[in-house]
Amino acid sequence: MTKAGTPIFRGIDVITFSIMISLSAMGWFMIFAVGYGESGYPDSIPLFLKTQAGKQAIFLGVATILFLSILIVDWKFWRTFSNPIYLGTILLLVLVLVFGTEIKGARSWFHIFGFSIQPSELAKFGTCLAVSDYLATVKITASSRRALFYSALIFGVPALLILLQPDAGSALIFGSFVFVLFRNGLSPSFVLVTLYVITLLIAGIITPIPSLLFALLLLGNLVIAYSMKNRLVWMGLYVLILASSLLVFNLDYHLEAILANAGLLVISMIFYWRETSYDLPITVLGLITVGLLFAASSNFTFNNFLKPHQQDRINVWLQPEKCDPHGSLYNLIQSRVAIGSGGFAGKGFLNGSMTRLNYIPEQSTDFIFSSIGEEHGFLGSIVVIGLFMVLIWRIILLAEKQRSLFSRNYAYCVAGILFTHIVINIGMTMGLFPIIGIPLPFISYGGSSLLGFTLMIGVLLKLDQNLKSV
Amino acid sequence: MNIKNELLSRLYVVTATFIIVAIVIFGQAARIQIEEGDRWRAKGDSVHLKYVAIEADRGNIMSEDGLLLASSMPFFEIRFDLNSSGMNNKAFDEHIDSLAYYLAYHTDRSLSPEDYKKFLVRKKAQGERYLLIKKNVDYNELQKFKKFPLFKYGQNRGGFIVIRKSKRERPFGQLARRTIGYVRENAQPIGIEGYFDDVLSGTAGKQLMERINRSTYIPVDDLTLIAPEKGLDVVTTLDIDLQDVVHEALKSGLQRHQADHGSVILMDVKTGAIKAISNLGKSKQYGYIETYNYAVGESTEPGSTFKLATVLSLLEDGYINVEEEINIQGGKMKFYDRTMKDSHPHGMDTVTIAKAFAISSNVGIASIANQYYTREKGAKRLYANLKSMGLTERTGIEIQGEAAPIIKDPNDPKVYYSGTTIPWMAHGYELSLTPLQLLSLYAAVANDGRKMKPYIVKSYARDGKITQNFYPKIDIKRIASKSTIKTAKRLLELVVEEGTAKSARSGRFTFAGKTGTAVTNYSKKGAKSKYQASFAGYFPADDPQYACIVTISEPSQKGYYGSSVALPIFRKIADKCFSMKEDLMPDLQEYASLNQNQHFVIGSNEDLRWLIQNLNIQPLTETNAKFGVLIGQKDSVLLKERIITKNRIPNVVGMGLRDAVYLLENEGLKVTVSGFGKVKKQSILAGTHTKGQQIHLSLG
Repeated sequence: MTKAGTPIFRGIDVITFSIMISLSAMGWFMIFAVGYGESGYPDSIPLFLKTQAGKQAIFLGVATILFLSILIVDWKFWRTFSNPIYLGTILLLVLVLVFGTEIKGARSWFHIFGFSIQPSELAKFGTCLAVSDYLATVKITASSRRALFYSALIFGVPALLILLQPDAGSALIFGSFVFVLFRNGLSPSFVLVTLYVITLLIAGIITPIPSLLFALLLLGNLVIAYSMKNRLVWMGLYVLILASSLLVFNLDYHLEAILANAGLLVISMIFYWRETSYDLPITVLGLITVGLLFAASSNFTFNNFLKPHQQDRINVWLQPEKCDPHGSLYNLIQSRVAIGSGGFAGKGFLNGSMTRLNYIPEQSTDFIFSSIGEEHGFLGSIVVIGLFMVLIWRIILLAEKQRSLFSRNYAYCVAGILFTHIVINIGMTMGLFPIIGIPLPFISYGGSSLLGFTLMIGVLLKLDQNLKSV
Repeated sequence: MNIKNELLSRLYVVTATFIIVAIVIFGQAARIQIEEGDRWRAKGDSVHLKYVAIEADRGNIMSEDGLLLASSMPFFEIRFDLNSSGMNNKAFDEHIDSLAYYLAYHTDRSLSPEDYKKFLVRKKAQGERYLLIKKNVDYNELQKFKKFPLFKYGQNRGGFIVIRKSKRERPFGQLARRTIGYVRENAQPIGIEGYFDDVLSGTAGKQLMERINRSTYIPVDDLTLIAPEKGLDVVTTLDIDLQDVVHEALKSGLQRHQADHGSVILMDVKTGAIKAISNLGKSKQYGYIETYNYAVGESTEPGSTFKLATVLSLLEDGYINVEEEINIQGGKMKFYDRTMKDSHPHGMDTVTIAKAFAISSNVGIASIANQYYTREKGAKRLYANLKSMGLTERTGIEIQGEAAPIIKDPNDPKVYYSGTTIPWMAHGYELSLTPLQLLSLYAAVANDGRKMKPYIVKSYARDGKITQNFYPKIDIKRIASKSTIKTAKRLLELVVEEGTAKSARSGRFTFAGKTGTAVTNYSKKGAKSKYQASFAGYFPADDPQYACIVTISEPSQKGYYGSSVALPIFRKIADKCFSMKEDLMPDLQEYASLNQNQHFVIGSNEDLRWLIQNLNIQPLTETNAKFGVLIGQKDSVLLKERIITKNRIPNVVGMGLRDAVYLLENEGLKVTVSGFGKVKKQSILAGTHTKGQQIHLSLG
């Protein structure tokens, strides 16, 4: 209960709050550096406000007002109105498909009064509220798939609408709700199978199917041999076949090697069935079959349905040697060169030549981390990544302290979204992830994203503040 | 307890995931920035990089039939980065002997391989990163250098730096040099190069360059290169054969009369296309060379050649009848305070206006002009007529630096018309025009009153394919009535038949025109008179094809009259044209439209291909266009594209009737035909906009 006259800042989590402020400030300075160019900034304030750094300053002002308003509004508001807010953001997502402005082939933006609003950023917040609210009322168990289905529906719908824009990057972010599901009892085997399928989907693109079959057979054999009663014998056999495949065929797939492995698998499965049960052989067989099917279908989809520019995106990530260094690979190379050239201590603020010459497309938004890397080096990168990690760690701690399920779920949702953003964004600038156009929270240029994350953290702090003042 | 354990383990899994991912990201940052970062940082700290624009290859300037008039030849400079970041010492030691051997052999330093090696080793120890190996290397030699030991690994590992440069060459030397022009630093761009600079220069690329010392930048690596886009070729209307004729004729004329400078323009009457343009000025060192584009850039008082405009105006206003007799008072008459004299002494008193024009009587033309165009009212009338002939504006030729005509505008209160202005204007003084501006008036008369806009560029092309065509443009539909034009043509023919140009008559062909002899320094009292001799005209007189103007400034020996200095040059050019150009030879008309004495067939590409396939001939060039031209060569054939543009009348001369009718009717034209055989002549000029006209084809 907030008493009348109590300062509104009392009891908010200092660590989270200060990290948010520091990141926003760093972000602004980096945007300033990117826009500095070769000639600096105009002298007059009205002209400066038209630059990205100027606009971001305005956004920061708006974000401050928004943050203060959240602190003033009663904490119960968010739980009570979670569903209307969620439905409102869904409505915006539908409207943007119709009335939105098309930029770079995607209808993701509303243009109102000279400003652009990206509803997908707000939808993340709305979905956090709705998912948290729903999960506070049900429990996900192995037996009840219903709760799982409904919560997947809650974040699936906005993801689908965003996919229609099309903005695959932002849609992908909604996958981060798996974290909160997992915290609420989602079966680990479900997560493992999902990971297995994802791995094979990716592997299917770059690996020939016979190679995959060979690898899966080796894996299946290992699992079964390990589970046998006569483990020593079977493992011995396994090692023998592995070694001969290795020696004769250099672990490359060959019909003989595949047949030998398949033979061992069949024999060991029959033995296992007789000795123990049919559960494991069936599971292994099922996983191999399903895995191969997924791999084959992903390979087929990649080669037959994806447009060349989509293939390029994936190739840049998985097989850069196949890409044109002046074309699809250009961004990544430039980004790595920029980050790498920063070295340990960086070139210094406003001294990053690639930053100032605007070498990297989208440098103030998606690729802003490369400017940090160039101008502030490894030290700067560590500070930024470190701050983000502490922030997420802190949010998880706060989550576990919450008494209401709603608040705990909400904190997990926010942590998941932040985590995915950070990992994908920073990872892609360094070539760990495919290039997906999503912003780095609080740092990238852009009003919608800044306001969206301010909302998320602001509400989290408000919910947490309430806990302490009770 | 169990539940709590499970919750805890879930928390651990989540935490572990975060930590693992965090470690991976930290690791990657460390790898890129600390491990690979050294490589980048070694190249220098802070702002040692900058973008440098890479100039695109400049497009060529070509003659009408595709010969190169100006072209950029690439050449290279080879440098050696002895301390490039990717070169390890092992590789250097391994290859240095053989590299030194090759370099000693292929460069002009007088070093033995042994000494060359020492030289390189010393330079490497000094930290040299931009050692000049050889300048002015051509493409073939570059290919050799690329294969040298160490160099074959490229810039990063082998230290091999290639700097690409280019120089502009004009394969035809002095021919139309000034008209082709140039673009140079710190100089006013001139000519076609100047006017079409944007088109020719293409789009510059960018390359990130790294500073290695105070003033030297070397390219970082080829990944940062944004490739430049080559400029378009500009195809002119110039005919290199005619250009050669004009150039030689002008040069020998200038030499004969030791004149200061002169120019000649040869224009296609029907289209306004400049077929040749030559400008020569005297230079102490080099004789006569192209130094300034007088034909386009020099506006002078034309003298008697302007009388054509005066007579056109008088005729158009219906003031005179050329058969009417006037008194020319023996060639001497006083207007207010000034006395006018005819340049050629003749001693005649009463002559017809036609005769006065033919013998170029200043008094004759000036007095009638003075009679009808009074200072108060007539001046405006005369000015309006000159304006409707297009003489008060620039022609708009696509050459940098066209001078504006100066003709006193009586509507302008600041302009002063004295009592002698009109009579002096009437014979070409107190006003100034460039040779090109005056020529376009003569061409308009020759073209039955239709004034074409002079032009010199007919298309843009890239890699031999035309990307944009420019068509003849009508400047003024009709500068005077039909009867006025007819009379004017007759007067110009009289000049040759019985007037000042009589001496140059030819039995072989006819031409028409007007001489001009202008005093250029009359305002300097007491000084020796300087003259500008000129002749403007067209040929053949009965079916004009070419208009030509010859202007010679300050002839210093063997006469100064237009008739004795400029006319012989004109005549020489016309002579050559008649012996070179089939379209001027009536009996050769059937081979018209394609140049030279080539054997050719025009028709649908499909048919032509069928033909050559069945004859089992391998053509030298091929095209996929719908219509083609098959041109016979000594031992093979060329199959070239015949360009057919939508909404334009195609050139069907030389085609069979079936193809011609197909093409024309597709464009919505009504076709009438006479004769048998292939199309010999089409009644509407190719390139004209189609709008359902009726076109007549003469076969033969």
